[in-house]
Amino acid sequence: MSASEETIIREGATRRRSVPLTKKVLDLLSSVRLGVVLICILVVLSMIGMLIVQQNVNGFDAYFASLTPAERYVYARLGFFDIYHSWYFNFLLLFLSLNIVLASIERFPQAWSYIVKPKLTATKAWLLSRKYNSSVVSNIENEGVTAEAVSNIFKQHGYATTTSTTTMMSYATDEEGNRDYNRMESKDAIVVFGQRGKWNRLGAYIVHISLLTLFLGHFVALQTGFDADVRMVPGDSTDQIQMIRFELDKKEKFNVQLPFTMTCTDIEQKLIDPRGSISVTNTLDWRTQLRIDDPEYGVTIADVSMNNPFSYRGFRFFQAEASRIGYARSIQLELESQEDGASQSYRIPRLGSITTDDGMVIEYDEFLPDFVFGPDGRPDTRSGEYNNPVAVLSVTPKGGERTRVFAFEGGRADNLPVGAPKVGYKWKLAEYEKSPFFHVLSIKYDPYSGAFIAWYFGGFGLMFALSFVFFFSHRRVWAYIRKGDDGKVELVLGGDTNRNHGSFEQKFDRLSKDINDGVGSEAGPVAKE
Amino acid sequence: MIFSLRFFMAKEIYDSEIVSPWRSYLPGMLAIIGALVLLGARIMIGDSFMSDGSLMMIALAFYILAALFQITNLYAPSEMARRIGLVSAAVGVFFNLSSWLVRWVAAYDRELAMLRDGGNMETPWIFRYIPFANLYDLSLAFAFGAGIATLFLARKKNYQTLAAFTLPLAALILTLARFIGDEFIDLPPVLDSYWRPIHVGVAALSYGVALVCFAVAVIYLLKDRLKVEAMAIWASIFSLSVIGTISKFSVLTEGVYRAGLFLPVDGGGKPFSAPFRLELPMVGPALVVAAVLGVAVIVSFLLYLYNNSEAGRKIGHVFLKLFFVAQIVAIGLLVHGIRSADDVLPRLQEQLAAEPAQYVIAGRALAERQNLTVAEITSISPIQFEQMGRSFLQSNGDALYASLNTNPVEVAGLITGVAGIFFVILFAFRTERLIEALPSLESLDELMYLTASLAFAGLAMLLITGAIWANESWGRPWGFDSKETGALVAWLTYAAFLHTRISRGWKGRSSAYFAIVGFLLVIFTYLGVSYLLPGLHSYA
Repeated sequence: MSASEETIIREGATRRRSVPLTKKVLDLLSSVRLGVVLICILVVLSMIGMLIVQQNVNGFDAYFASLTPAERYVYARLGFFDIYHSWYFNFLLLFLSLNIVLASIERFPQAWSYIVKPKLTATKAWLLSRKYNSSVVSNIENEGVTAEAVSNIFKQHGYATTTSTTTMMSYATDEEGNRDYNRMESKDAIVVFGQRGKWNRLGAYIVHISLLTLFLGHFVALQTGFDADVRMVPGDSTDQIQMIRFELDKKEKFNVQLPFTMTCTDIEQKLIDPRGSISVTNTLDWRTQLRIDDPEYGVTIADVSMNNPFSYRGFRFFQAEASRIGYARSIQLELESQEDGASQSYRIPRLGSITTDDGMVIEYDEFLPDFVFGPDGRPDTRSGEYNNPVAVLSVTPKGGERTRVFAFEGGRADNLPVGAPKVGYKWKLAEYEKSPFFHVLSIKYDPYSGAFIAWYFGGFGLMFALSFVFFFSHRRVWAYIRKGDDGKVELVLGGDTNRNHGSFEQKFDRLSKDINDGVGSEAGPVAKE
Repeated sequence: MIFSLRFFMAKEIYDSEIVSPWRSYLPGMLAIIGALVLLGARIMIGDSFMSDGSLMMIALAFYILAALFQITNLYAPSEMARRIGLVSAAVGVFFNLSSWLVRWVAAYDRELAMLRDGGNMETPWIFRYIPFANLYDLSLAFAFGAGIATLFLARKKNYQTLAAFTLPLAALILTLARFIGDEFIDLPPVLDSYWRPIHVGVAALSYGVALVCFAVAVIYLLKDRLKVEAMAIWASIFSLSVIGTISKFSVLTEGVYRAGLFLPVDGGGKPFSAPFRLELPMVGPALVVAAVLGVAVIVSFLLYLYNNSEAGRKIGHVFLKLFFVAQIVAIGLLVHGIRSADDVLPRLQEQLAAEPAQYVIAGRALAERQNLTVAEITSISPIQFEQMGRSFLQSNGDALYASLNTNPVEVAGLITGVAGIFFVILFAFRTERLIEALPSLESLDELMYLTASLAFAGLAMLLITGAIWANESWGRPWGFDSKETGALVAWLTYAAFLHTRISRGWKGRSSAYFAIVGFLLVIFTYLGVSYLLPGLHSYA
């Protein structure tokens, strides 16, 4: 008899005794019922968090402004604006974890007994009380040979088999068939036991371990790591990043010191239509190139693009945001000589410079997408759109003085003083590669790779375990073989499974049919005892 | 000779057995192979081929046809009706999948043309265009998930009747897709990840399985002789909730229905939702009449259920039919009102002249879309809001237009309400014959458990693949975004379903209620979160 069957009988027969308080508490903490209650509370709290806009979500400010002072007070006091980080939500997760651990510990021995102590024997009555059962009279006169044939058929159906002999004690019967309670007699029978998928019994525990790994990894990541942002403008260096803390409608920024210095060397925006805007909808990808100067590990070149983060010393860099102010990653200049009208063309990258054949140095200083003179008379941009783009240059002729030059697109400022020829050339912005003024990278610090462990080990483990639990099952079959007083070998088949009963029904029927075809006679069915 | 006791206990098990395993897969396999062949034809012929929208409408027609034949088969069993129902379902799945595949190619062609037009010779990878970019795409895949799950179940002859319940639901999903509109979106770069097909594909299939689980749960309740009147009460409550909340609660508070308006955007694409709504004549009063009839249904059936009032039962059924007719009339008026709204601006101006407070509401809506801070929003006075509303109308009023696509959830909600009432009326018709035709309680319970287990495993995969994708793209695997939380809540509900079954032995009716709640939460995650709550998934 399996451990579970024994347990049921023993519990039924045991007299009720006073149960110690500690056991009562442990029973409660490990009960599935408590787990279900905790899950239901978690569902309710999560729904509150869904319906009340959380403080770190875009649009929270507008939502917060639409609430009455009383609503704001009540929601804030109850922690509803940041419910997923509230003490009671975390406590609930911890409590649920404890429940999962205790419930698993309590039930594991019973599941383990299916693996180490399989139920090798069975009585005829027990088998006939199974949901799936059938009986047949063997056409082989020898029980041992019948058992071997049945075992082979079990094996053909993928079952691992064990054959054992069992002795059944029962009251003797007299000639009229009445039981004689003064005499016992023993009857030997052979039981062929077959099973497949026994490890499926442990599936639920793998699910729970995966879930706990997920919780624990996530907890470690939250406790030991942080999220921050950094603005990357080509040419700028920094050894600090900004951490944002939300406090209802206020966002506080803190600087976090890095153990290395980052320098942005290039930013790029791949556009679907290069003639269009630098909006998200016209973008294929963003790419930021960095140089990391680390006193411990030297220089590293990093490339961060969308969905392609860069990891370095526990820090992971992700593309997060791009400025809406247009800039040019490179410019193509056309210079028309005032002397002979000859034209020259040069391409200069952002922050770069070139030296012409006649020794003139042209430096690309700035790009203004929508040129305008500001109130102070200095060049500025009216908007972030490329409405009136201009490249601001510093030009130093050979042996001459450094001069500021404005190169407009398509000679738009031909009739304006600002667009007048300078240093002996008419300057024109022939072409430019659009890119934003800056990129924002988000940085995740996770020194113990908690998130990785949580989601790759815990998450994939959970997926694997759930598939293992629900797509497979532990199937057991028994064949009880005994030679009757009439010399005929009777065979009773029984089977059970822990899930997927519909599929097992069909498989059991096929197994019964094969056994009937293999060893069955036409002697007819055996009546249920 | 073999002797099975079960043979006498549950004869129908033999009816439900698969006669030939490989042949039983044939309808589903043919639908998939056919769709791939059609995809090949689309690639060879080019964009003069049938559009994905047309294919979707054909799929919708076949789903409805299949459901009608399966329903007929329930009441008047006929081998021909059963076969036609099954074939129609397979053809529906074929067109459904074809529509989705053709959309993939169309999205690729569209963006490639844009790239080449701009002189960009880059050819992004094909999975960038997989139709999992917005709610329309997801709806096509969701309906396919439901359709293929139905075909899979229909391998067992006995379960083919389930198609009578699952396919109308798949048809409702496609109807919703029709109202959402099939415009392509310009894909945000963050979605260009190999995790997207995995994550959204799992979502579509698990939603489909959850839908089947829901249908099985409803059938179980019917088979378990839950009174049709009780079902009518719940269906009426659902319809009343829809009527009460649409048009920003104006139907029951003001007696009017106002439809949303669109403003076209430059260069095509998904139009902008205007902050004004246009009042449609007669729709509000028709919906109010429907709501009154709905209340009458509830009161009558409550009297029957709690006071055993036979008169209540009889009159309740009359009210139920009237409620059904009133809702159809209201929807008809709504569709007619939107289609005939050619003079939007003068009507809107007339409406706003009578109620200028709507300018303030519109101005506030415009301000909220600008991501202003609390301080900035509170500093704007009602007069300034009104001015914002007036300026918007002045600049864009001529271009505003009404469309059925402006409020897909409202229209789909109303249609779902009508469908729910229709099914209750259907259940009330020759109930005994219907119950007899359904599979046994035991097999339905087993099927409910199986589909709930699959939905549970599928939703777990959905959550995990989403978290891993988020970790790869943002370094933030879990952020309690509203859609993430919605899926988590649905998953936890299925977890509770499975655990109550283990610990409390809750089977049958209790499990059926859990399965229904689980699916409603899935639908809330699928639609409600996208349209009602802010978050990262608002595009889908």
